[in-house]
Formats: sequence, structure tokens, C-alpha cells
Amino acid sequence: MTLTTGTSVVSLRGIRKEFGDHVAVRDVSLEVPAGEVVAIIGPSGSGKSTLLRCINLLERPEAGRIEVLGQAVEPQGGVSAAELAKLRRGVGMVFQSFNLFPHLTVLRNISLPQERVLGRSRKEADARSLQLLERVGLADKGASYPSRCSGGQQQRVAIARALALDPQVMLFDEPTSALDPELGLEVLAVMRELAADGMTMVVVTHEIQFAADVADRVVVMADGAIIEQGPPSVVLTAPTVERTKKFLRAVMDR
Amino acid sequence: MSHLHAVLLGVPWTLAVMLAALAIGAVLAVPLAAARRSRVAPLRWAARLAIDVLRGIPPIVWLFIIFFGLGDKVLRLGPFQAAVLGLGLISAGYLAEIYRGGLTAVHKGQWEAASALGMGRADAMTRVIGPQAFRVALPGATTYAIGLLKDSSVVSTIGVTDIMARASQDARSTSSGLTPFLLAALVYIVLSGPLAWLSRTMDAKLRARVAR
Ligand SMILES: Nc1ncnc2c1ncn2[C@@H]1O[C@H](COP(=O)(O)OP(=O)(O)OP(=O)(O)O)[C@@H](O)[C@H]1O
Ligand SMILES: [Mg+2]
Repeated sequence: MTLTTGTSVVSLRGIRKEFGDHVAVRDVSLEVPAGEVVAIIGPSGSGKSTLLRCINLLERPEAGRIEVLGQAVEPQGGVSAAELAKLRRGVGMVFQSFNLFPHLTVLRNISLPQERVLGRSRKEADARSLQLLERVGLADKGASYPSRCSGGQQQRVAIARALALDPQVMLFDEPTSALDPELGLEVLAVMRELAADGMTMVVVTHEIQFAADVADRVVVMADGAIIEQGPPSVVLTAPTVERTKKFLRAVMDR
Repeated sequence: MSHLHAVLLGVPWTLAVMLAALAIGAVLAVPLAAARRSRVAPLRWAARLAIDVLRGIPPIVWLFIIFFGLGDKVLRLGPFQAAVLGLGLISAGYLAEIYRGGLTAVHKGQWEAASALGMGRADAMTRVIGPQAFRVALPGATTYAIGLLKDSSVVSTIGVTDIMARASQDARSTSSGLTPFLLAALVYIVLSGPLAWLSRTMDAKLRARVAR
């Protein structure tokens, strides 16, 4: 695990995001080198999702600098549609609520963005989609509508849909919190494989075990700031910050 | 039987007014609904004002303003053109709100997913949001269309020879009030039947597909 800035896939500097007069993220900096898996944990409302959503500009920070795959933007100065498209091209995102397109079949969910964003032909796109469906264990689900899939299956489709655009980094916002534990496991299994394959990942999660097993680095947030970070073996077992200890105790008790 | 024949003569005009007005309304409602959801506040206010004015004035008053008022000097319109223009504008107001309802019903996460995947606004709208909004808006739009079919009878007041006008003529010329108007009622019901059926089957089909 090297932390040279030059090889960072994602680099955040002094990110600040306000909603009205509430500061959700205050001056956060974060470097994510290629191949690293970063787990972001912390209490509810601490700004984890907001920070994650700043990376692909689903939220526009009031201040700070975002660099993804060498392309830098300073959102407060305005971002052109072309810049936005380029930035998002390399970044895949998976949401807590899956957000599959309900009017399209599973296969079309994965193929449509490839056709529209990468300009692949329908045939190429479908071939890639089937390949990815197989990879997430859903080769037989292509013709189904999302409403006919379990939550765990829907989330795996959402992962396949993001992967189909060949992203360099994947963002996950509590991908398993809307799922029953068993269904969560099948999603986590896919994410473990992805990490083992070397994908750069930023994962907001309440799954401490997953963070312990898979993450190279755990980042703890509270009140919009990073209060502690380091390897899981340190942060999760011997945290130094009182707020982290309190949070981990609360999570373990659940 | 000749009563029925007289009333049926109005059917093409009733249908033509209704379909043409609906077509104009369906098209004009798109920019209105878009403006209503615009990020530019004055545009939103203007759209809202336009919609309130279009819907707030009774159709018969609109038609009289356009046909007898404007039609007198400003723009020469025949009864049919005036009827289509008036009802078309009113329809735009109603349909814009129905579209907006459909768009609002689509979960915000759908926009976010499309954006995060790198789809542009136009793609997101036509491929992801629009089709879902359409499904939500369809029952409201068909209900409006059925309403319009009936309410188009107001165009008889400016001289369009629709079902209602034919029934009135027939009632006057044959001095029999009840039969022509009962027949007119029957014809309106028969005409709206297929629309209601179409709406129900399409709704059921789409619902079965995307039910969640
Ligand atoms: N769109 C928004 N408008 C207003 N306030 C917001 C918005 N999004 C987030 N917030 C606020 O910003 C703060 C941080 O929210 P955020 O969702 O990032 O927290 P989180 O750490 O992801 O919490 P959770 O674990 O519950 O998901 C919260 O106080 C939240 O209420
Ligand atoms: Mg969150």
C-alpha cells in the first residue's frame, strides 16, 4: 500500500459541503491510490454519503478540489457537461437503494448505459452484460424485470451495471443496509471478489466485519470530518480517538 | 332513426376537435411542464401563471374571447380553428400538470443512477425518467381525454357542428327535445368507452411490468 499522490485514483482536497447553514462535510482531504479499498465508517449523519457523492459530483462541494484519474475539477468554479461526463466515465457507483431502472429488464439495465455512454452496439453491450451477469451469479436473470428479483439480486445487477462501463474506481454507499443479512452476504461476496481482482473501491459501510476483512484502510468520520484513519487492524481493534471507540462499541452492541 | 342520423353527423367534428386539441395540448404541455420544473425561478413562475390562467378561465369564455373577440379583428379564425386553438391551449395547461405529476413521482434515485452512470440529461430524460413518468401520467391523461371529449360539446356555442350542435338543430327542427339529446348522450358514452378501455388495459400492462 503506497500513498504516493501521483498514483491516486481519487484525490480530494479540502472538500466542504453545506446544506443551507448546516455543514455536512468540513474540509476533508482523502487520497485513494490505485487498487486500494477504503472503508468509510461513522455514525449516522456524519457526512459519509455526502463525501462519497462529492467524488462523482452528485453533490457539488462549496469548496475544495476533486481529482479523479488525473482530471481535476474545482466545482465551485463551475463544471462543464463535458468535464462532468469525463469524470463520471471512470467512476462507478452503487447505491443503498439499488436504483435499477424498473421499466427495463435486467439485461437492458446493464446494456443501455453502455450504448448511450460508451457508444457500444447493442450486440457488444449485451455480450458484455451477460458476461457480467455471470460474474455476479445471475446469468439466468437477464430477461427478468427488477421487480422480480430479490434485493440481493437487484444490488448485484446494480454492481454489474456499473462495472459494464469499465470504471477505474467503484463507490459504494451502504450497499447492504437495505438487505436482509443473508442477501447482504451475496452482495458482499461479489464485492470481496472485486477487491481481490484489484478494483479501487471506496465503501461507505456499517459492516465492520467486511471492513476488517477487505479494507486496506478504514476512515472514520464524525460531524463532517475525518477523525481517525489507518489499517483496519489498528482502527477497528485499537482506536485512539474516543469518538471512534464509542462508535465501535455502539456498532458491536447492535 | 333520422334523429340518430342527425346526431351522428356531428361525430366526425366532435372527434376532430377533441383529437386536434389533445394533440396540440400534448405537445405544448411538454415545454410548459419543463418550465414548471426549471431551475430558473422566473421561468417556473411564468409557467405556473400560464397554467393557472389556462385552467382558471371557463372553456366557454376562452372560446368566446378567441372566436368573437380576437377572431373579429386580430386573427381570422373559423369556428373549428378557434375551437381547436382554445381547447388545445386549455389542454396544454391540464396536461402540463399531469406530466409534472408523473415526473415528480419518479424517484430521485433514478436521476442519480442515470447521472452516476454518465448519462446526459437528455438521455436520462428520454430513456429513464420519461418512460416511467409516462406510466404514472397515463391514467390521468386518459381521464382528461375522456373529459375533453364530453366538454368539447361547448364548441357548439361558436358554431362548430359537433354532436351537441347537431342534436340542438334536430331538436329545434323536429320540435322533439328529449330524443335527440338522449341520443347525443348515448353517442358520447359509446365514444368514451374505447378510450376508457384502452386506458385500463395499457395501465394494467405497464403496471404488471414495473410493479414494485
Ligand atoms: N440533500 C440534503 N439536504 C439537506 N441536508 C442534507 C442533504 N443530504 C444530507 N444532508 C445532511 O447532511 C448531513 C450528512 O448527511 P449524510 O447523508 O452524508 O450522512 P451519513 O454519514 O451518510 O449518514 P447515514 O449513515 O445515516 O447514511 C446530515 O445532517 C444530513 O441531514
Ligand atoms: Mg449515508
